Amino acid sequence: MTTTKHFSLKWMLGLLVIFIWVSAASGQSPDFKENIYPVGKLKPRDSVLKVKVGELAPDFTLPAVRGGKVTLSQYRGKKNVVLSFVPAAWTPVCSGQWPGYNIAQEFFDQNDAILLGISVDNIPTLYAWTRQMCMGGGKLWFPVLSDFWPHGGVAQKYGILRSDGVSERALFVIDKKGIIRYIDVHDINERPRLEVLVGELEKLNK
Amino acid sequence: MNELYQAIEKRKDLKDKMKIIGIGTGNTNFEVDFFRKKYEVPFPLFSDEGYTIHKTMGEVRTPYFIGVRLKGDGSTEVFYSKLGGFSDPKEFLNSMVKLSGI
Repeated sequence: MTTTKHFSLKWMLGLLVIFIWVSAASGQSPDFKENIYPVGKLKPRDSVLKVKVGELAPDFTLPAVRGGKVTLSQYRGKKNVVLSFVPAAWTPVCSGQWPGYNIAQEFFDQNDAILLGISVDNIPTLYAWTRQMCMGGGKLWFPVLSDFWPHGGVAQKYGILRSDGVSERALFVIDKKGIIRYIDVHDINERPRLEVLVGELEKLNK
Repeated sequence: MNELYQAIEKRKDLKDKMKIIGIGTGNTNFEVDFFRKKYEVPFPLFSDEGYTIHKTMGEVRTPYFIGVRLKGDGSTEVFYSKLGGFSDPKEFLNSMVKLSGI
């Protein structure tokens, strides 16, 4: 009976609309139009990490796109922190990673975590880029910080500044005591899987 | 997209003849499932983490829509292929119906 029903539906069906989208985009959203610079395939990793899981995360203060400055230690005792370093504005993978985190805010909230997005671009560049990310409406819920000057200073401190002056695509999960609990210096060409980060955030509460 | 789905389902002449599927380019099953639940997507969504489908489709930017006519002999024909979303689901549906000749 089921087979017959399935068969008839198959033959009655005349049209299929295929909708291709990116929920945690790859930087190919029409929001960016033709503005994404094609970087090509890069060396997956080009730096030597200077911090380890279990260590106190090096403190820093950086200017935020939304104004003012953000200091890592201001969250001590209050929030878990995820540092998301991306290599550069207006490049393919980076332009998708943060919009993905933007729609996944609940995973951060559920685990009492704040996300700090960091790149070595200057504030005006980050301002234009993050505004373009949200052309469809809304805005980023997390602070975006500029590690432009001294150039890549924080990335250097963590050991993720590449030889060409951009940072690695890296994630650091830091608990409320300021201790690094997870590090992912990811292949720069690929976007980290959301579920891995969510799993690491959930571990903080166990 | 959900409104487009509802508009199709409400039309008796289209309900069993026109279906939508979504493909999450570069997304994992977890990400697609999260997206489906968050936005209460009523039609099937598939993940394309390895960009296999994306490459087959010509590495298009997103969102991208492809209208496919399924012929009685099992063959297929693309009647619509375009980048970008739409603001009026009913208008989009009407253009799909017109272009497909369904």
